[in-house]
Amino acid sequence: MKADVDKVVAPGISVECKGGDVLLAVENVSLSFGGVKAIRDVSFDIREGEIRAIIGPNGAGKTSMLNVINGFYHPQQGTITYKGAKRQAMRPYVAASSGIARTFQNVALFKGMSTLQNIMTGRTLKMRKGILAQALYWGAAKNEEIRHREVVEGIIDFLEIQHIRKTPVGKLPYGLQKRVELGRALATEPELLLLDEPMAGMNLEEKQDMSRFVIDVNEQLGTTIALIEHDMAVVMDLSDRVVVLDYGQKIADGTPEVVQKDQNVIDAYLGVAH
Amino acid sequence: MTAAALFVPGGVGVAFAAMVLWLLRGDRRSAADLLVHLSLAVLAALFIGFLAGRAIRDPGPFLEVLLSGLLSGVLYSLVALGFVLIFKASGVFNFAQGAMVLVAGLAMVRCLDFLVAKGLTYWLAVPAALLFAGLIMALTAWVIERFVLGPLVNQDGLTLFMSTIGATFVLEGLAQMVFGSDVYPLRLFPTDAWFMLESVFAGGILVNKLDVWGGLIAGVLVAALAVFFQNTKTGRALRAVADDHAAAQSVGIPISWIWFVVWLVAGLVALVAAMVWGTKLGVQFSITFLALKALPVLIIGGFTSVPGAIIGGLIIGSGEKLAEVYLAPMIGGGIEYWFAYVLALAVLLVRPQGLFGEKIIERI
Repeated sequence: MKADVDKVVAPGISVECKGGDVLLAVENVSLSFGGVKAIRDVSFDIREGEIRAIIGPNGAGKTSMLNVINGFYHPQQGTITYKGAKRQAMRPYVAASSGIARTFQNVALFKGMSTLQNIMTGRTLKMRKGILAQALYWGAAKNEEIRHREVVEGIIDFLEIQHIRKTPVGKLPYGLQKRVELGRALATEPELLLLDEPMAGMNLEEKQDMSRFVIDVNEQLGTTIALIEHDMAVVMDLSDRVVVLDYGQKIADGTPEVVQKDQNVIDAYLGVAH
Repeated sequence: MTAAALFVPGGVGVAFAAMVLWLLRGDRRSAADLLVHLSLAVLAALFIGFLAGRAIRDPGPFLEVLLSGLLSGVLYSLVALGFVLIFKASGVFNFAQGAMVLVAGLAMVRCLDFLVAKGLTYWLAVPAALLFAGLIMALTAWVIERFVLGPLVNQDGLTLFMSTIGATFVLEGLAQMVFGSDVYPLRLFPTDAWFMLESVFAGGILVNKLDVWGGLIAGVLVAALAVFFQNTKTGRALRAVADDHAAAQSVGIPISWIWFVVWLVAGLVALVAAMVWGTKLGVQFSITFLALKALPVLIIGGFTSVPGAIIGGLIIGSGEKLAEVYLAPMIGGGIEYWFAYVLALAVLLVRPQGLFGEKIIERI
């Protein structure tokens, strides 16, 4: 895997990694919809504890890649190795229950519910009481509800959204919706957090807030993060390693400094004379 | 007496109009809205005031009509509840709810007849038949989840709605093929009349015992379902799935299990409705048309609200009975058949989400 990375970036430059062992490895994944090849033979890995950015021009296959990791799409070829288990394709439920959480490019919150209830849905997998106990809503099931409510209040404090706890999320401004969505993902206590353009459509101040939360999540909670982002300044500041996709293919992989100077990346972003 | 007969109904009417306007307070965007709201409030006030006048003049019969209306409204609510459950959990208007009432009713009554014919005592046969019908509803829920909705995860709401229309015909056909298509009488609850308050009013107030049973059952069901949806993990998961399939999956909510649970619960509610309605009308094909009466109930109460289904049922039930009895001498009979739809139209005009529905907030 490492040799592969070196070859793609630039021979001879060793890649410095903050992360530990490989948490998730994508190997030779290809995904197509009918005749459209969204991802072609892409391999990369995400190491424990790092912030890994996935960048590329529009239509490069970044979101498709997240959907493959998270189990929404099933690739025709290739394998995904997550925590040592190799799979042809994840399933959303398996992905979620083994610690992969995500946010969406276009905010996907449960609009009819309040902030608090939205984040509570993130606790679904942590709550163990059966449906009959819940139906009775007595004793153990009620206690469980209260216990998880405390965890959720902790997340709300962490993200500084106490003032909108009871507000229906449909009424919130975009930036706050994104923050609630992050809260919901955090409520699942993920090991790998996939963020699909967490700062899209935000103003500078909101971007700074969100960056701070991403770093805090990574450093304080030790969560591994893979994020898609278009704002290059943010990507270069936040991420430990960057993988670059273009037309479904991987064109570069390495630290931000290395990727920035890569000729393929510059060509992909600026266009190249044919 | 004359002063009271004049002022009390007027006061009640005005109070009601004020309440209507207060209910609609947030939705006024233009002068035209205000005009529509005002005229509706005036109409409602006139109707209520008129009824209050009648109530004062002759309280006995009025109470009798009101009570029988409220109780039959509860029976509408029972059917509407099934719709609400599925709508809350999958965002689908389940066209098949009426067919599910038919399936549940047929399964129960045929099993009951069979067991009784085999010589089982009636009170042993009833629980057995209920269990059998419950299993049939579970099977129905599983089949619908597995073969109809399962393959349509992440599809548009309209696609899912169309698929339930298909399911309706299959269910109706299969149920009648397997269980028969006659009218099967059912005697689960006492249906005789019952006179109350004979000491207060001359002749007392006549109430059908079946309606009282229906009211009790609906009350228990609603209380249980309301708590379930508001405060439990599964309740939240149901609403999450209704809002956004992909997001629900991403937090680990197993959609197929949730859909099975919700269709099962809706099937059991259909079974309860079939027990009460089957006793009232006999189990027969026309029971599927109950779905039509549930529609105005849903529009008034809101598609996403369990208590709304009950309040909507009460409004429709009492409204149509009172209109039939007190307005018929003035504008002709048969009001019962259209009054519910006119009420629903009025609500759609001023409050499209219904009295208790979740307000739809669209961001552009």
